Amino acid sequence: MAGDLTSILVIILIVLAISLAFSIGANDETLSSLVGAGVLKFKVALLIGGIAVGAGMFSFSFSFVAKTVGADLLGEGLTYTDFMLLTVLISSIIWLVIGSFAGIPLSSTHSLIGSIVGVVIVYSFSQGGVNPETAFNWVKLNNVILSWFLSPLFGLIVTFMLFKLISKTYLSRLKGLNQIEKSEKYFKWLLLSAVIFAEIWVGANSGEALGILYGLLDNGSLNIEQYLFFAFICGISSCLGIYFAARYVIRNLASQMIDSRPSEGLIIQLSSALILMIATLLSLPISHSHVIVFCIIGMSLSQKKEVKYKELGKMGVYWILTFPIAATLAGFLYFGFNLFGLT
Amino acid sequence: MKEISEKELKKLSIDELTHLFIDNINEQNLKLIEGIEFLVEEDFDNFTQNLNYVIETNTEVRVKKAFESKIFKSKLMFSKADRLKLFNKINDIKNIGEFSANKMLLYRVVFPDEEFKLRILNILKSLKLISKQLTDAIKFIGSDLTKAHDVCENIKDKRRKMRIEEWQLLNILYNYDMDYLSRTFLYLKELIEGVMMLADHIKSFAEYIQFLATKYLIFD
Repeated sequence: MAGDLTSILVIILIVLAISLAFSIGANDETLSSLVGAGVLKFKVALLIGGIAVGAGMFSFSFSFVAKTVGADLLGEGLTYTDFMLLTVLISSIIWLVIGSFAGIPLSSTHSLIGSIVGVVIVYSFSQGGVNPETAFNWVKLNNVILSWFLSPLFGLIVTFMLFKLISKTYLSRLKGLNQIEKSEKYFKWLLLSAVIFAEIWVGANSGEALGILYGLLDNGSLNIEQYLFFAFICGISSCLGIYFAARYVIRNLASQMIDSRPSEGLIIQLSSALILMIATLLSLPISHSHVIVFCIIGMSLSQKKEVKYKELGKMGVYWILTFPIAATLAGFLYFGFNLFGLT
Repeated sequence: MKEISEKELKKLSIDELTHLFIDNINEQNLKLIEGIEFLVEEDFDNFTQNLNYVIETNTEVRVKKAFESKIFKSKLMFSKADRLKLFNKINDIKNIGEFSANKMLLYRVVFPDEEFKLRILNILKSLKLISKQLTDAIKFIGSDLTKAHDVCENIKDKRRKMRIEEWQLLNILYNYDMDYLSRTFLYLKELIEGVMMLADHIKSFAEYIQFLATKYLIFD
């Protein structure tokens, strides 16, 4: 009976992880600049972007961010139970849905990590023999939280410096509109490369879905072949998410970007991809949307354009609140599960 | 203006079509200004001939059609909307010119005195200059936006001076011993306003070109 329940729970978690991978793809707007620039036909861009995200997700599935989320945040000897993973998923989904309905842009990464912290805290207090002080790998957790502040900042700095460099050496020498148009035609192909590069790292850094699967691998619910198989399915799921669901957001954003230059898109995408790449190789799950926002700010600052600090401040508040709110929500949910003996 | 065949029109690029269009419109503009100069000199035959030319000429329509069919199919990346707006603004010059020409043909006016004639000829000279400068600025857009920007600054300066001359001229007109409802008074008042309407459009066009320069140029 208990074995049946565990199996059902594992299946539910796998299905939720695959759905989460789909939603990661569905929420990805990286292709907007490519579609706005008219580099490729819309469906071709979606397909290529989807394949890149899926490939990135699967290629880096066995270690890096998935391992951080699925195992390394916990203290020595500790593994997630299936109900902990379920709580983390439910909590982050609830908070993200609330955010969507309220029109608040939230980070799924912060929501997930926050939920993990909430669940582990309650677990450590409710389970005997687990010292709350050693329930976490504090060094890793601190590094993850620090990366959430540093990654957008570096995104801003890298974009600023990259734009200054390219404008000084090349863009400022273009005098006529015909010359500018011609050079931007070359930039659009570079933009294609940058977007594919960015999409790979978006997939690679998306630890939410694979983190859950890694947690199941770590606690023995899945073996390595099963893990890799479901990681592959997650890759395909995120690809389908981009192709079928993200198209509406991408088309909407792309229509607002028709006047933007491919050179600007290239710099922004390249900067965010670099930050994502470094974060992934350091096994740090960061928020792609935060990095992109700060890259865009870096671009605006380098061009001496207006930055809407008031709106940024509002966004910043939600970003900061996501972690504690997700942690609290997850804590209460897991506590509720505990009351029914579901640990 | 030399006639261009449909075949030759199709071969022209967006830029070349824009240049051809502004050349056409500028020629008509100069004809209109020349016509008013004939009016000042009381050469009514040439005045009527010139203004009828402006009203009846539609050589630019073929250029406009060729441009419109090309722009929407073009692979221009981000300046399509701006180029279309540019073209439409050039077309507006024609519309203003045609409107003014029709109005001027309603009545055969005799100017009050030599001083008035001299002052209006001065304004017309300035209008000719800024019309030519605008043509140059438009042609510089494709090759050198900085030069286009500088030419537009000259246009704005010139138009400011024209505005001062306009007030002086209107001041003189209002001080003539004439009935304010007379056709002569109304005609002369509207003639001055018509000339300045064209000058104002050229000035606002110049500002738009400067906006394009700021939009597209990246400064070190």
